[in-house]
Amino acid sequence: MAVFLQSLISGILIGGVYALIGIGLTLIFGVMRVVNFAHGDIMMVGMYLTYLLFTLMGIDPFVSVLISFPLMFFFGGFLQKVFINRVLNAVSQNQILLTIGLGLIMSNTVMLIFTSDYKILTTSYSSSTIQVGGGVSISAPLLISFLITAAITGALGWFLLKTDTGQAIRATAQDRDAAQLMGINVSRMSVIAFGLGAALAGTAGALISPTYYIFPQVGGTFTLKAFVITVLGGMGSVVGATLGGILIGVTESMSAVYISSGWKDVVVFVLFLLVLLFKPSGLMGKSRT
Amino acid sequence: MTKTILKAATGLIVLAALLVVPRYVESPYALHMMILLFLSVSQGQSWNILGGYAGQHSVGHAAYFGVGAYTTMMLMHAKQVVPWVGVWAGVAIVVVVALVIGSICFRLRGPYFVLASIAVAEIMRLSAINLTTLTNGAEGILATEIPAFKIGERVVTDFLTKVPFYYIGLVLALLTIAITYWVQHSKLGYYFQAIREDQDAAHSLGIHITVYKNIGLVISAVLTSLAGAFYGIYVGFVDPPTVLGLDVSVQIMLICIIGGMGTLWGPVLGSLILVPLSEALRSNMITEGLVKIGLVSADSRIGLFLKENLAHAHVLLYGILVVLVILFMPEGLMGFVKKMAARRNREAV
Repeated sequence: MAVFLQSLISGILIGGVYALIGIGLTLIFGVMRVVNFAHGDIMMVGMYLTYLLFTLMGIDPFVSVLISFPLMFFFGGFLQKVFINRVLNAVSQNQILLTIGLGLIMSNTVMLIFTSDYKILTTSYSSSTIQVGGGVSISAPLLISFLITAAITGALGWFLLKTDTGQAIRATAQDRDAAQLMGINVSRMSVIAFGLGAALAGTAGALISPTYYIFPQVGGTFTLKAFVITVLGGMGSVVGATLGGILIGVTESMSAVYISSGWKDVVVFVLFLLVLLFKPSGLMGKSRT
Repeated sequence: MTKTILKAATGLIVLAALLVVPRYVESPYALHMMILLFLSVSQGQSWNILGGYAGQHSVGHAAYFGVGAYTTMMLMHAKQVVPWVGVWAGVAIVVVVALVIGSICFRLRGPYFVLASIAVAEIMRLSAINLTTLTNGAEGILATEIPAFKIGERVVTDFLTKVPFYYIGLVLALLTIAITYWVQHSKLGYYFQAIREDQDAAHSLGIHITVYKNIGLVISAVLTSLAGAFYGIYVGFVDPPTVLGLDVSVQIMLICIIGGMGTLWGPVLGSLILVPLSEALRSNMITEGLVKIGLVSADSRIGLFLKENLAHAHVLLYGILVVLVILFMPEGLMGFVKKMAARRNREAV
């Protein structure tokens, strides 16, 4: 029972960070209908940014979110303005290919700069745990990152629901043409949405960097995982992405314990194929694109 | 009419030249480049059949490439099965895999199909890492020597030089080109194109979409697995990232995209550009060139950096090329050439 509870809790905690990656992706898809295959690589850039801030300036990874969030926001906005914007009306495979290309450029540029060695970011609390009782313990960095994730998700929810810009973004996601006709600056909303998506991915990268290996190719798996999460939750749904993230986190940590850690990603991808097969609109989605 | 004759004549001359190359060219490096070119053409052409003609952009072709390579290598390594025989075991497995993948993925469209195809290839890659008793895990399989192919006592191929590989590669490339040509001009190909252009319209005309997509996938997957088997045997080494990684799938697509999807000569053109470029990077030719013309000194920091890292930069180059092609030449080079030709014709009139 303790093992079960233990893996359930760590699954939920890591799932929170996954949710952050998924929300970023779903936001981009919702507003632009572009499937961003560079999402995991953007997260990887966030990880290296955190690593740099930590090793060069000694800034704690959780504090560095304050710096990396705005930086990644501008990075995302830049990517949207310079590249993605040009393929908004192109066929979907061109959008996919463009973002795959951008991802390759990011991961291989980072590889040229930092080599492909695995980097580890060790903080004083990296391996500390909190005893909950009943033989169950919680990893401190995972708990902190989960709390930060929850705060960011809450703030994002407030932004999307209550602010004018947030409402304009949601309107754009609902119907691009109608939003344009209502006087919403759709292209600006796209830049903001992509910026936010990148900032969330980058933040997720920052939050997992104390507990995860950092290497240039780390993005590939996360891109796919982000998709699994968003498809599971229904493409374009922020609530769905949150649920999907936690579901994937729990599935992963359960299969790591009860099957083997080597097969945990396989379990996730098989689950993904099953969802595509039986409920392609996702758990929260209604229509199928 | 004269144009057709001219085309046929050019084709025959090129073919004759390709056939006699190993007689006159002894440099193993030149032969190696030609073999890589053949491999690239057959990979690109195989993808083209499904991606270019039927419009199903799989980003998971590494699955078929890797299964072909692994099966042949595993049989050879563990049971000393001659590649000529092992290849067919790979093909049989790939047909089954393709049909399973097809029946799952072809119910999905657009980005969903792409995602599913990647997920399948990732499952294959992770399985290859985890099924250590079968695949030797992350270490991969190294084949030190290839058993000679004998009929009775007579040795048919010994694989001691690059020459047999050259001819097998040439046959493979020609085979894929021929099959593409056939697809392009057959009823099957017209069905494919109808599905690519408008799936719903094709369906309403009575074309059984799922069946034809699966046919396209099986043809494409079998040819890709042949290329994979050829690659495995030629290089003598397979491991999960080099034959099953996402990079492999992207590389296969890229040959087509750069050259032009859905055209007969697109993948050939793409290969003619990509193979020399990535080899130049891999073999450090560019660094040596920069040193030679005096831009960089060999033992300076920049020189050493380039020498050490440029070899890995070919994937970066792929990324840059994809972005440039999509932004500026979405139809690939063949599309660009056609557009230019059309413009010239218009001006001539």
